[in-house]
Amino acid sequence: MNETKDNAVKIVLSGRIDSANAADTESEIIRQVSGKERLPVVIDMADLQYISSAGLRVILRLKKTNPDLRLTCVNPEVYDILDMTGFTEMMTVEKAYRIISVEGCEVIGEGANGKVYRIDGDNVVKTYKNADALADIQHEREVARLALVLGIPTAISYDVVKVGDSYGSVFELLDAKSFAKILAKEPERFDWCVREYVGMLKKIHGTVVPAGKLPSVKEDMLVRIRRAKAVLPEESGKKLVEMAEAIPDDDHMVHGDYHTKNIVLAGNEVLVIDMDTLSVGHPIFDLAHMYNAYVGYSENDPEVILKFQGFTQETARRFWHDSLAAYLGTKDERRIEEVADKARCLAYGYLIDWGNRHHADDSLISLWKSRLIALLPRVDDLAFEVKAGGGTDPDELEIEAAVDNLRKVLDFVDSRLDAAGCPMKYRMQLDLAVEEIFVNIANYAYAPGRGNATVRVEVSDDPVSVTITFMDHGKPFDPTKKADPDVTLSADDREIGGLGIFMTRKIMDDVKYEYVDGNNILTLKKDIK
Amino acid sequence: MLNIEKNKDNDALVVSLEGRLDTTTAPKFEDELKNSLDGITALTIDIKKLEYISSAGLRVFLSAQKRMNAQGEMKVTHVSEAIMDIFEVTGFSDILTIE
Repeated sequence: MNETKDNAVKIVLSGRIDSANAADTESEIIRQVSGKERLPVVIDMADLQYISSAGLRVILRLKKTNPDLRLTCVNPEVYDILDMTGFTEMMTVEKAYRIISVEGCEVIGEGANGKVYRIDGDNVVKTYKNADALADIQHEREVARLALVLGIPTAISYDVVKVGDSYGSVFELLDAKSFAKILAKEPERFDWCVREYVGMLKKIHGTVVPAGKLPSVKEDMLVRIRRAKAVLPEESGKKLVEMAEAIPDDDHMVHGDYHTKNIVLAGNEVLVIDMDTLSVGHPIFDLAHMYNAYVGYSENDPEVILKFQGFTQETARRFWHDSLAAYLGTKDERRIEEVADKARCLAYGYLIDWGNRHHADDSLISLWKSRLIALLPRVDDLAFEVKAGGGTDPDELEIEAAVDNLRKVLDFVDSRLDAAGCPMKYRMQLDLAVEEIFVNIANYAYAPGRGNATVRVEVSDDPVSVTITFMDHGKPFDPTKKADPDVTLSADDREIGGLGIFMTRKIMDDVKYEYVDGNNILTLKKDIK
Repeated sequence: MLNIEKNKDNDALVVSLEGRLDTTTAPKFEDELKNSLDGITALTIDIKKLEYISSAGLRVFLSAQKRMNAQGEMKVTHVSEAIMDIFEVTGFSDILTIE
């Protein structure tokens, strides 16, 4: 069988190739490439079950006459042989894609580009609507890998499979639940979701991306807003585009589609997924997309958000508001509204363009337009500042639970204690307790993964006392349940591990442990008078 | 930040600590001791300039005490009031010989 396409010679090999038929196979190949030496050759190995060294030598000789040689649809057994013998390094070898069916599988997510199905307990497959999805899959894999290297916890696909007429990428997601599902099914965890959701967003926005690695979110938004300008009153369109152009460039990461279906809790770990829109730019762009996810798209129809996220419009709006408040670290409604308005300008510009291109209902597009036109006169620029660390609460520090951060934690605690006029002798004892607890969290709470700890220091006047609270969302661990080590034993007989917690209990007047919403909360209290 | 100074006189060793003995610096102190105690019968740990000690540091004191019980004696000198409080709350004042 032989066909030439785009200049390349296509050869199909099937069955077994060993010393018994290698010579015949070779003469057939020579016949097919004769007169086409130097042309690219593609060998389709979909039906090849086995190849021995006699067969491999045939391919090596072919490589001499036709150096541009590609082996495709290679099954796993043949691939192993090619890999062991070094062929995968000498030429392009493409594995056959595993074919899977998603019929009857639970749909756990749905985005603009396709659906996510759970194929078994540990694995999900993300399918793509377009038939030629391989480039998209490759792109998402690359950006996910980049994000992971830069410290953003995410899932990376480990396999590409064929699903129907298109392709899918397979991820391992152990017992994963999206935040959308948690909000819908466990409303009592609302505050926990806000905290984790905002923590992850800040982590993303705090990540500097090396130049040239990711596209600019501003460029993408400008394309859309310039299109929207055409259907807006001249003055409004002009102001919107000018304000968007004036947003400062930024080399920090933005997600581009940061909503509660793209944040998942897998085991104890919070992961961000759906990385194909990952970009660099000012955080206002992420806030704009967030506004649309929770409010914009579903503005005139509560059914839309219920279908999209699985929770009510009321929950969506409250989640947007509380997340923005936590992100800005403020309870000042004026400040929240001010930043929300900036985000909404971009959000409506985006929606108007989206609506036009997707033939959305005219009444909906008109609503977005009127909202934007009403909004523009009270907004003069779209950038905003987030305070370092985000919070305005000087009594609280959130930091990665790592032993290397111990110094920073102690400096923070000391600064709070000094401000409260804590005597030196108590300061050392409190430091000691803080060190024990923080190092414990750093070593055990998230091992072998990573995560944050929050330390809060409060001083009360009557009686003068210090309360230090540690919070982490790692493995549940109640140090108050740990038995005291026997201090009369010799060093060798003594359980070294329990010493720190024993000392902490000795030093503090009160040690209380709670496990709430997946968080370890340890409260230490001591009178310092 | 921990400075360790050693003065050896035959089988007597004086180790002076300056700075902080915590999770990050205790391993260094432990290694120093491990490599210097062969043949020592009198170990003195001078903590006049020690500003802070955590349980990681106390653990090293404890294992040194255990080893010296077997080969001689150990004492801890120039204990500040703040560190003495730590020794007391943690029960270490009963285990260590403090001068």
